[in-house]
Amino acid sequence: MKFAASPLPRDKSDTLLLLGTCLLVLAPHLLRLPGWVSLFCGLLLVWRGWITFRGNRMPPQWLLLPIACAAMAGGYFSHRTFFGRDAGVTLLVLLLALKLLEMRAKRDLFTVVFVCFFLLLANFFYSQKIAMAALMALSVVALLVTQLSFQYTGLVPPLKARVAHGALIFALALPVTLVLFVLFPRIQGPLWSMPSDARSGRTGLSENMTPGNISDLANSEEVAFRVEFIDPIPRRGNLYWRGPVLSAFDGRTWSRMTPLRNDAGPLMVERRGPPVRHAVTLEPSGHPWLFALELPEYAPVVAGRPAGFTGEIEMHSAHRIEQRVRYDVSSHLDFDTGLDLTEAALQRWRSLPAGFNPQTLAYAARLRAETPEPSALVNQVLAKFRREAYRYTLTPPLLGRDSVDEFLFSTRAGFCEHYASAFVVLMRGAGIPARVVTGYQGGEFNPVDGYLTVRQSDAHAWAEVWLAGKGWLRVDPTAAVAPERVERNLASVIPRQAFGGLLNLDMSEDTLLGRVRFNFDAVTNQWNQWVLNYSADQQQNLLRSLGFTQTDWPALIGLLFAAGSVALAIVVLPLIWNRRKIDPATALYHTLCRDLARRGLPRAPHEGPRDYGGRIAADQRLPATQRIAIGRFLTLYESLQYAPQPQRDRTQLPFRVSHPTVAQLKNLLPQCR
Amino acid sequence: MLHRLRLSLRNHLNQWVFQLRDAEPGEAFLNQRRVFIMPTRAGLAFVVLLIVLFIGAVNYNLSLGFGFTFLIAGCALIDMHLTFRNLAHLYLRAGRAQPVFCGEEAQFELHLINRRKHDRYALWLGFLEDGALGIAHAVDVPANTTCNITLSCHTVKRGWLQTPRVRLQTRFPLGLLRAWSYWRPDLQALIYPRPELQAPPLPMRAKGDDTGAGSAGHDDFAGIRAYQPGDQLKHLAWRQIARIDLEDGGTLVTKHFEGGGASELCLDLTALPPQMDLEDRLSRMTRWVLDAEAAGLPYAFRLGAHHFPAALGPAHQAACLSALALYPGAA
Repeated sequence: MKFAASPLPRDKSDTLLLLGTCLLVLAPHLLRLPGWVSLFCGLLLVWRGWITFRGNRMPPQWLLLPIACAAMAGGYFSHRTFFGRDAGVTLLVLLLALKLLEMRAKRDLFTVVFVCFFLLLANFFYSQKIAMAALMALSVVALLVTQLSFQYTGLVPPLKARVAHGALIFALALPVTLVLFVLFPRIQGPLWSMPSDARSGRTGLSENMTPGNISDLANSEEVAFRVEFIDPIPRRGNLYWRGPVLSAFDGRTWSRMTPLRNDAGPLMVERRGPPVRHAVTLEPSGHPWLFALELPEYAPVVAGRPAGFTGEIEMHSAHRIEQRVRYDVSSHLDFDTGLDLTEAALQRWRSLPAGFNPQTLAYAARLRAETPEPSALVNQVLAKFRREAYRYTLTPPLLGRDSVDEFLFSTRAGFCEHYASAFVVLMRGAGIPARVVTGYQGGEFNPVDGYLTVRQSDAHAWAEVWLAGKGWLRVDPTAAVAPERVERNLASVIPRQAFGGLLNLDMSEDTLLGRVRFNFDAVTNQWNQWVLNYSADQQQNLLRSLGFTQTDWPALIGLLFAAGSVALAIVVLPLIWNRRKIDPATALYHTLCRDLARRGLPRAPHEGPRDYGGRIAADQRLPATQRIAIGRFLTLYESLQYAPQPQRDRTQLPFRVSHPTVAQLKNLLPQCR
Repeated sequence: MLHRLRLSLRNHLNQWVFQLRDAEPGEAFLNQRRVFIMPTRAGLAFVVLLIVLFIGAVNYNLSLGFGFTFLIAGCALIDMHLTFRNLAHLYLRAGRAQPVFCGEEAQFELHLINRRKHDRYALWLGFLEDGALGIAHAVDVPANTTCNITLSCHTVKRGWLQTPRVRLQTRFPLGLLRAWSYWRPDLQALIYPRPELQAPPLPMRAKGDDTGAGSAGHDDFAGIRAYQPGDQLKHLAWRQIARIDLEDGGTLVTKHFEGGGASELCLDLTALPPQMDLEDRLSRMTRWVLDAEAAGLPYAFRLGAHHFPAALGPAHQAACLSALALYPGAA
């Protein structure tokens, strides 16, 4: 071992290493925290670095205490609390930065490292992406190297060797981590109600819609859910993912009508045709809505709780979706609902607020007079959309008070919400029960992993009308205007824009960029499915599929210990049994020496085989036959080890020569005992 | 009574659990059964940390939080094995121990032999004296090397001093766990009696008792000679030394005295007043042996069965001091 002298004294280089590691741990937080916290921590770190470089004295306590109090007060005023996720992270960050200025004993190092571990975990509150996991792995290695560096007392290997050592610990821990991750009994959280700031900044479908108020629909590429089909994927035009149903209209805004209850009573649904089984992995939305192909056969079980339907066949879970969930559903594309609705019940879906959209109402009345047959009337309206100069656009003009009037008769430009809204108002005006259904339409099939990805940009609104003898019928007025929107996807109508619209990138399936995107998406999906979504249910399923019928706690813990021991043994035994190789003759010699030492005749450290043999031959305690055997053994061993090697016959392999001698030694050994 | 019973029971238990063996001749091998491992205080804090992280992961349903918690738990598990490996399978051999005077620190040389392919860092060795740990020293033993370390221990009585039990321990690499082992080296140091601090002058006896011409041999200045190790400081010829340029190859010089051959020095335990404590008498004899050597006066030595004729030199001194150290007595 040769260690190059470090240009810095050891404690300085250790402290700088610690500072660097802390910076790595703090970096992702500093980007997120309030500006003053980042600035303050940056200054403290620079101050600590300066002290280390110059070899100055640490700041005295009377100086640090007021600074710490001020920092805590600042943290309180930023968040108005000491509790909760964000406030907790802020306090930990401040604590770490201050602790660095107050490190005196080795104990303080552990405090710093442990706070760093907390902060690493806290990163997962905000992101659990692959990149974040990689950054955290890097940070763990850095922390291990730092902790390791403080443990040396004399020789200190160069940083490279220490990093290798830290990485080795990390690498050896991975198999154990894997076993623990898969087999450690999972508890379905939360243990207590989560602080309110645990959920924030989620997007998704909203529960009401005001078509005239949006002039630029955010074209979010965020994933809403991913679907794995067990049965063949239906035609694209049939991929309607039903969400909240909006039946109440106040003139401008559509909102839900039925209260969210599970006791909707039995729904009269007639299903035809084969079911389409699929599994949906829903991203957290903060809403209770569950999505499935229209129309699911039954409500799935989500995170251990059964989901339910409302009277308008909106599928919802018992709680808001705050975690990624996966559920299995089976849908029928061909179905009838609402056949049993009475005239009194249908009245709800005909009502319109008085005093809004007079032009539209007049037009509806005229239509009804011309075409009394409801299905013909529906077709006539769709034909109007198709025939006249209606435009599909994501940047429609803003609409005034009578939004439907303006849309239908003057602007004639809008997206799905405008068309659905106008269509339903027309229907209701003509006396046909109708409602707006929101949800998603279509999705993007990923050829890499076979999943269908539905994004927020696939959000859609369509209409349902009730016709006697047919029940509720889906009518998509948008399809009449922009059939490609339904048959292909939004990208085919509006080119996908990147870099804020500066560049139009073609990211369709056949281009290189598209393939990269699909691959990345597939990896992300696998990560979500197998790592992030691994819950108590998934654990049970995995174990059952591996053939373990009993998956209760004791069985799981037993399995955990068995698999953990095997993993640990595989990793650790080569570490512990890294002996030097000794040749077989010497091994036999050592066996004999040990044997004789047990019988009170240990070989002295300075004795070679000859001297030792001489001493044993003179010892009267052993029987004569044994002494002779030992003498022969030692002479043979000596000649084998030290005698000049005879000129070997080139045709003979070397071990052929030595082999009989080792065998002789082996034969002699029992006689010596 | 009960207290003593409990104490003895605890001692036996300790001996059995911790494999406290007697001195082991030859090489001692730290096998698995002899190496113990427990979390340190930091390690216990780490366990609390793991529990809190786990609860956090459960409460926020963070899948990666679970993974992270398990990862650092796995690192601690690996650390446990590395700490164990850092100490286990080490070979230990006792070296030498030089004789010292009682009251001085006895120095024991110990060899740590690493026959493995991995380096061992930060091993702390310390004597376990009366249950208390002496000052521990840290050593590193690189792969396939032998490392020597000298441990010292306080001496309180003359005679053979068996090496106290050595405790070897390590917290490397992460400091979360502490592995330790006990070893009693088969090594003894000879402890000479403590030399008396203010002893009376050497008991000079004239050879021809009536002449009274015997002098101590300190007075007749006979010139200077080259310095020899062992020369007393007060005999150095400082006036001459001041003129010598050491860098020109000059050496120190000593004043040489003659005379003293006329008297005979005999150190005899029985000649000392019998009412004196035996240890005090041995202390005085020790001081006289040292004084006589320093003065360069040949001295005869009588102690119990030992009768050494008058002589001078390290071998003679060592024989006398050993006899003094091992003289049977209350000590």
